[in-house]
Amino acid sequence: MIADLDQLEGSNQTELEKNGEHFEFNAPVTEAVSIGNTVVVGFGDGKIRFFKPDQKPHDIQAHSGVILCMVKAEDYILTGGDDGRFLQISMDGEIEEIANFGSRWVDSVAAYKGDRVCSSDKVVYIWSKENEKKSFTHQSTISGVTFSPNGKHLAVSRYGGVTVWRREKNKWSSSNYSWKGSHGKVTFSPNGKYLVTSMQENQLHGWRLNDKADLAMSGYPAKIKSFNWVGDTPYLVTSGASEAVCWPFDGKEGPMGRKPVCVASGGKQYATFVESLTEENAVFVGFKDGLVLLSEIDEKKNPITIRNSTGSEVSAIVVSETRAHILIGDIKGNVTWSSIRPQQN
Amino acid sequence: MENSQQVPVTVLTGFLGAGKTTLLNRILTEQHGRKYAVIVNEFGEQGIDNDLVVDADEEVFEMNNGCICCTVRGDLIRILSGLMKRADKLDAIIVETTGLADPAPVAQTFFVDEDVADRTKLDAIVTVADAVHLSSQLEDHHEAEEQIAFADVLLLNKVDLVDDSALTRVKERIRKINPFAKIIQTTRCDAPLDEVVGLNAFSLERVLEVEPDFLESDHDHEHDDDVTSVSFVSDTPLDMDKFQTWFGDLLRTKGQDILRSKGILDFQGEEERYVFQGVHMLMDASPMGSWAEGKKRSSRIVFIGRNLDSMNLEEGFENCKIG
Repeated sequence: MIADLDQLEGSNQTELEKNGEHFEFNAPVTEAVSIGNTVVVGFGDGKIRFFKPDQKPHDIQAHSGVILCMVKAEDYILTGGDDGRFLQISMDGEIEEIANFGSRWVDSVAAYKGDRVCSSDKVVYIWSKENEKKSFTHQSTISGVTFSPNGKHLAVSRYGGVTVWRREKNKWSSSNYSWKGSHGKVTFSPNGKYLVTSMQENQLHGWRLNDKADLAMSGYPAKIKSFNWVGDTPYLVTSGASEAVCWPFDGKEGPMGRKPVCVASGGKQYATFVESLTEENAVFVGFKDGLVLLSEIDEKKNPITIRNSTGSEVSAIVVSETRAHILIGDIKGNVTWSSIRPQQN
Repeated sequence: MENSQQVPVTVLTGFLGAGKTTLLNRILTEQHGRKYAVIVNEFGEQGIDNDLVVDADEEVFEMNNGCICCTVRGDLIRILSGLMKRADKLDAIIVETTGLADPAPVAQTFFVDEDVADRTKLDAIVTVADAVHLSSQLEDHHEAEEQIAFADVLLLNKVDLVDDSALTRVKERIRKINPFAKIIQTTRCDAPLDEVVGLNAFSLERVLEVEPDFLESDHDHEHDDDVTSVSFVSDTPLDMDKFQTWFGDLLRTKGQDILRSKGILDFQGEEERYVFQGVHMLMDASPMGSWAEGKKRSSRIVFIGRNLDSMNLEEGFENCKIG
C-alpha cells in the first residue's frame, strides 16, 4: 500500500486551519482587541479591520502610519499612532480625533468608563467623560499606561519604575514605585493588589500596591513582549521563554519564593504572544515561527496544537468576548479568523 | 550572520554648526527613490527635508546586565521597534545626535537589544567635524573627542577656510585619536554619498579591510584624559586561551576607558582568521574565512580610549603569543 501524501498532510491540519478563514494584508498586525462578538485589528499601515461572525472583514484608514497601541473602551476603541494622533473609533468605523501631537508618537493608551488616556513622550493626558483635559509630566518617556480594575489608580511605567496616580475627590495624587532599569508595559492583577512591568532586561518586576514590596521574576532568555492574567488563581502568563511561564498570584505573598508553572513548550524557539481563556484556566501561546498552542495551566496536561508553524512571528491572539471566535495575527500581516465553538455533527 | 531583512542605520554625529544638516539634506534629496526615516533630536537644527522625521529625546539608561559602562538609548529601542512595524520597507534609517551626545550608548543599543539587532543593523558612525573649530572643541569638550574616536567615517568639513599647515595639524590630531576612520575632506559636506551611507562598517568582514594608520604615538604633551589609540602587530601566532583570558579581563576591568577595539587574530591551530570589534565592554567576534594563500599570517589589534598607557596593553598582548 502506498500512503497518500495529500491525505497525510490533510490529517495533520488542525481544526482551525481546516475551518478558519485566512487573509494576507501585507502590513504587520500590531494590536487586536475584542468588543462583543467583534475583533478589531490594527495594522502597520494605519488601517483598522473589523472581523465579525459570518461577514467579510471591513477596513478603515485610521492612522497614516503605524498603529502603536489600542484598547477597548466601553463600546468603542482608542488608538494611538506614529502619526501623533490619538483616536476614538466606534464599531461602525466612525473616527473622532481626540488629540494630535504631530511628530511625537502616541505610545500607549488606556481607558476606564468615560476616561480616555494616552501618553506621548513624557506626558500622560487624561480626558474625562465631560471632556475635561488633564496632563501629568514624568521624568522620562512613558512606555505604558493602565487603569487598575476599579479605576481608582492609573499606573504609568517609565525609566526607573512606575508612577501610580490615585484618583481623589477633585484631584489626582501620585506615588512612586521605584526599581532601577527601563520598564515597558505595565499591568494590574485582577484584584488590583499587584502591579507588574516587563523590563528591558528579560525580566518582570512587580510591587504589592499597599506596601511597595518588590517582586522580581527573572530567568527569561528573551524580552517579555506579552503577558496576560488567567484563571481564578490568578496566573500571570508571560512570553519570553520556550514555554509560557505562569506565575501564581494567590495567597498573601503571590509568586514570592515560588516557582512558576511552565506549559506549552514550543521547542527551541520563544513564545511571543499569550492570550487567556479564563473560564478554562487555559492559555493560547503564539511563537516566533507562527506555531500556536493551547494549554491548561497544568504541567501534567499536554498542549493542543491550534495552528502549525507558518514561519512568521505571532504578534496578536484574541478570543472574542463572546468566546465564539479566535483571531491570530502575525508580523507579516497574515490573519487567521475562526470559530472556536465545537463543530455540530 | 548577515540578514538582508535588517535595515541599515547610519548615526550622524558632530558639533553644532559642523554641517550635519547640510549632509543630511544631501542624503535625503540626492538619493532618489529611496525611503529614509530620520530620527532627530529636539535641539537639532531645523529644515530637514523629509516626510518621515521622528523626534527623539536621546534618553540614555543603564542596563542592569553587569556591564558597568553599558548604557543604551532607550528612545532608540522604542523608535526603531516602532519603525519596524511599518508596512513599507525602509531603505535606511539615519539617527542624528546632538553635538554633545556620547556615541557609545547609540552603538551599544545595537549590541544589547535583541529586537533591535534582529531587525536593524548599525551601518556606520559618521562624524562631521569643522576644520576651523575642531582643535578648540577638542580642548573644551570631551564629547568632541569621543565623536572622533567612535567615527567610522570622518567628514572634515570647511577645509576651504583653513590653510595647509592648520589642515595638517588638525588631521594629525584626528589620526592620533582614531587611526582607522576614513577621513574625507569637504567644503560643504560635498562627499560622495556612497562613501557615507551603506558602508556596512560595523560588519566583522569590514574590519578586515580597514588598514589603520600605524602612527608612532607620542604621549609627551597629552593629558591623562585625552583619547588616544595604540595598535600592535604580531607575526607569532597567539594562544587562544591566553588571549581570551587577557582580553576578557581587560574589557571587564578597563572597558569603561576603552572606547573601541578592533582586531584580526591568528590563533595557533585555527585555520580561519578570527575577527572582532568592540564598543566599551561589549564585543562581537567570530571566525571569518581562511587567510589569503601565500600571504603571511599576522595578528593586528587596535585600541582607542583613555588611559591606555596604564593598561599594560603591549605586555598583555605579548604574553598571548605562543611559546
